[in-house]
Order: sequence, then C-alpha cells, then structure tokens
Amino acid sequence: MADSTKKKITVLMVGNPNVGKSALFNRMTGANAMVSNYPGTTVDFTSGTLIEGRQEYEIIDVPGTYSLEPRDAAEEVAVRMIRDHPDAVVMIVFDATKIDRGLYIALEVMEQGMLCIVAVNMMDTAHDKKISVDTADLQKVLGVPVVATTATSGEGIRELAEQIRKAQVADLDKIIKRLNGEIPDKKSVGGCGGCGGC
Amino acid sequence: MVLSTDSRWEVVDRIARRTVAYGTYKRTLGDVLGELTVKPLTGIPVAVAALFAFWSIFCSFAGALVTDGFMVKLFDSHWLPWLQSVWPDPASWHYFVFVGDPLADNCFEAFGVLTSGLFVSIGVVLPAILIFYLMMTVLEDSGYLPRLAVLVDSVLHRIGLHGYAIVPMILGLGCNVPAVTATRILETRKQRFIMMTLLAIFIPCGAQLGVMLEVIPDMIGLVFLCLIGGFCLFGYILNKVIPGENPEILVDVPPYHWPIRENVVKKMWNRTKSFLKEAVPFVLFGVLLVNLLYLGGVIQALAAFFEPLFVTWFGVPKETVGPLIAGFLRKDLAIAQLSVIPMTAYQMFASVVLISIYFPCVATFVIMLREGWKELCAALAVLFVVVFVYGGLIHAIGILLGVA
Repeated sequence: MADSTKKKITVLMVGNPNVGKSALFNRMTGANAMVSNYPGTTVDFTSGTLIEGRQEYEIIDVPGTYSLEPRDAAEEVAVRMIRDHPDAVVMIVFDATKIDRGLYIALEVMEQGMLCIVAVNMMDTAHDKKISVDTADLQKVLGVPVVATTATSGEGIRELAEQIRKAQVADLDKIIKRLNGEIPDKKSVGGCGGCGGC
Repeated sequence: MVLSTDSRWEVVDRIARRTVAYGTYKRTLGDVLGELTVKPLTGIPVAVAALFAFWSIFCSFAGALVTDGFMVKLFDSHWLPWLQSVWPDPASWHYFVFVGDPLADNCFEAFGVLTSGLFVSIGVVLPAILIFYLMMTVLEDSGYLPRLAVLVDSVLHRIGLHGYAIVPMILGLGCNVPAVTATRILETRKQRFIMMTLLAIFIPCGAQLGVMLEVIPDMIGLVFLCLIGGFCLFGYILNKVIPGENPEILVDVPPYHWPIRENVVKKMWNRTKSFLKEAVPFVLFGVLLVNLLYLGGVIQALAAFFEPLFVTWFGVPKETVGPLIAGFLRKDLAIAQLSVIPMTAYQMFASVVLISIYFPCVATFVIMLREGWKELCAALAVLFVVVFVYGGLIHAIGILLGVA
C-alpha cells in the first residue's frame, strides 16, 4: 500500500522513437499501451500507476522524439509534456544499440535542470549485435542513475522502478569536467556506482 | 547550462566513445533476407506477395471459413427461425424493429436489431477484424512496415505524401479512428491534411471489407480499383492545390523481430474488446435507428426528396438513402443494408463505392474533430466535391460502357 502522506510523483518516459518506452511502461504499470516494431506507434500520451517502496508514481508514456525541437505533431506532444511537468522525474530511455542518439536528447533534457534517470533498454539486441554498454561508467559520467533493461523479457524492470527515487539533476559542467578527467573518479564503496543518490 | 547543438554532439561523442564498445558482428542469414525486402528489385515482388497473402488469408478465413461455413448456417437456420417463431405478433412495431421482416429467410434481409444487427456485427464483422488484426499485428511487430514505407516512398511523393504515410493507410484498413491519430507522424500540416482527407474518403475499414466480402464477393476487386483510382487522382489534385511542404522521408528502419506471442495476444484482445464494446452497440443502435426512421416515414420522405440526385446523377435507386443514413453510424451496416435493396449489378457496385467514399462514420468524424476543426471542415468540403464529382464520373463511365 502506498503511504497516503507521500505525494504522488510524476515520471515522464522520454526518448527516441521505437526504443521500447511503451514496452517498459507496460511492464512497470501493467497498462496496455500499444507496442509495435516501428517508430511512431505512440502518438499520444498514456498514463499508469506504479507503486514502489511506499511511493506512488504516475508514469506517463510520451511519444518518441529525436530532440526537443519537434519535427511532427507526435513529437510536439512529447515536448509539451516536458514543458507542462517541470517538477516531474524524467526517465530517459535509450536503445542500447544507438546510445549516441539517446544521449543527445538526454543532454537536452538535462539542460532543462530536471530530475533524471536513464534506462538503457534493448540490452538483448545489443548483446546479439556484439555491442556492449558500460552502464556503470555511464552512470559515473552522467551523475544520474543508469539501469540496463530488456523490456521484452522484463530484465532490469525491478531495479529501474527502485532507482526512480534516486533520480538526480545532472550537472552539465561536471559531466564535461569528468570527461576531461578534471574530477577524479570516486572510489566506489560496496558496489556503489557513484550516482550521488545517497 | 545550455549547450549549442554542436557542442552537445561533441559531448555525446565523448561519452559514447568512453562507454560503448563494438565487437565484430557477423552478418546472419536473417540480415541477408532482411536486405532483400528493401532493395527495389527483390523488395517489390516481396511486398506484392506479402499483401496478396494478407488478402487471401483474410478472404479465406473470414469469408469462406468462419462466416459462410459457420456463422451463416448458425444465424439463418437456427437463430432467425427461432426468433421468428417465439417473438409475438409479427405485425407489431416491435417485431419490425427487433426481428424485422417476418418472411425473411436470411439474416441480411430480415433487418431487425436482433437478426441483422447481431449477424452483421458478430457473424460477419467479428471474424473479419479478428483475422485482419492478427495479420496487421504481424506486419507491425515484425518490423516490415517501415521497410514497406521506404519501398512506396516515390509513389506517395506524387500525391503529396511520403512513404511513411503507409502506416496510417494500413492502420486505416483496420479502422480509420487510430489511423487519423497516426497521421501525427507526418511532418507538415499539408501532409496531415491530405492523409486525413484521403483516409476518410477512400480507405475502407476492416468491418466494411468484411461485409463487402460477404455481400459482393465478385465485385470487390472492381470496388477496390475505383477506390485506389480515386485515392491517387484526388491525392494528385490535392497535392497541386494545397500549399505547403512535403519533406523527404526520414525513417529509422528497426531490425526484424519475431512477433512476441504475449504482445500479439494482448493486442488482439485489446482490439477485439474495443470492437465488442464500441462497435457492436453502434451497429445495433444503427439498425434500431434506421427501423424507427422507416416506421416514422422519415426515410421514405428523404428518398423522395433525393430521388433526382440519386437516380439521375449517381444512377442508383432512391432507396439507397436508408443505407446512407446507417452509413453515418457504421459503414459495415450500410453495406449490409444495401444488399437487400433490389437493383442491378452496376447499381450495386456504384452504391457500394458511394457508401465507401461518402461521409466518414461518426467515430472517425469525432476523432478528426479532435485533431482540428479547421481541417475537419476543409476535409468535409473536399468530401462533398469528391462524392459529387467521382460519383458522377463513375456513372458517366457506366453509361459509356452501356452498363448503367
């Protein structure tokens, strides 16, 4: 049961088209968002509820977009959702085989100063294509929680749900400094990825 | 802190280089076969074969196997005679509304809420949309749709659209309602307007196809030809007339996947559920409304009023007014209703085309309104012109060929 004293937190699922946002969304909320294998299946938003650790979340599945400068009416919906929910947690979903494109929109969202968490989805496809993603390092660089997931099989969904509460505002300055090696990597203690959530 | 586009990409590059490693990837047989479906030389035959397979399975399963083999027998030899024997007072208004014609020996002709209404929705349309949605799910989930989009791109550019418009078109063959919303994936207002208008006018929905298959199995090809012809002709004209851009197609072609059974089942269930919840009541209500309008003499009066237009201009009997009213609620119902009006083969053909291109059903109408009332009004204006011009044109061709 959710604690009634805690406020409901809104989580927006943002990312490129066809990275599996709706599939993740269905996994987390038990909802029935339409899932297909072509970009642009979701053209409107759907919301569902997730209760995790006595906290109730309203998860909103948003149409996929390549950037925050919309190309079409579906992307406009996505941009409007972000603008209308400045206090929401943004769950940025990556396609593990196309990390760079996911990173682009992730940086755009991070520049807005919103609380972020990253899901690197489609890990199974990446594995098949011999692409490996160092999610622990990605977490260190970005300074927000990064979780590897495979929505079709359900792998990583539980961890993703648990990590929502650790969502962070990313600091672009620090990201660049870390890339330049100006901030030494913290020694991780007890399996800590250094997301800074503690 | 806000980055410029260039420096954002630079940061992206540096993060990706640090966190992503690429192993050597060997091309699999699946990749090779996948490529054959996009190269024009092999891709076009594959596309034709895929669509042909789609259509034959649709016809043989929905038409021959379930409807003719099972539903027609069930409804005509058991349900209808039983209802006719137990419902009291064949001369009463309620008998007329719910059971229909006491002398009818099949559920198309009876035209009561509980006879034709149930037969059309459950006996004819339900099997049709079930098999249609199953095959559509395979198209959607396998990853073939974006490839088809690339293949048909150059053709669609001539009518002011690009290849990705194939997505709303195929969805529209299932139901126009999600198709109208799916036009949001097109970039410009011009594209969206052209697509929505053509969808509403020329793309018949799965329910309508199911009934057409049952009522006019021999003429369905000709009807299709007329709809495709009109689609291209008016698409071409709209493209010339409407100002605006039609940018190049930019589509991410995803890897092929085997459809996941769980997802297929879930989608089938959701679509069937919404059909049972939303469409069936509409069909039943449609029969009820039409029967009440008949009893009240409204349809007879409208038929007399529109007689000159219908008979002289379109070359169809004035009784087609009844089905046209039903067509506003559900097109499948309208076509079923046409089948019992006595007319020549040509008139039948012309009225099926008219029903298809005339006013979108109320559900489509509402969803178009949601996407923008200005577009809806403009689309309706185009629709009136198209129905008038194209309906007349078909009649003229019929006269020239000596069949009308």
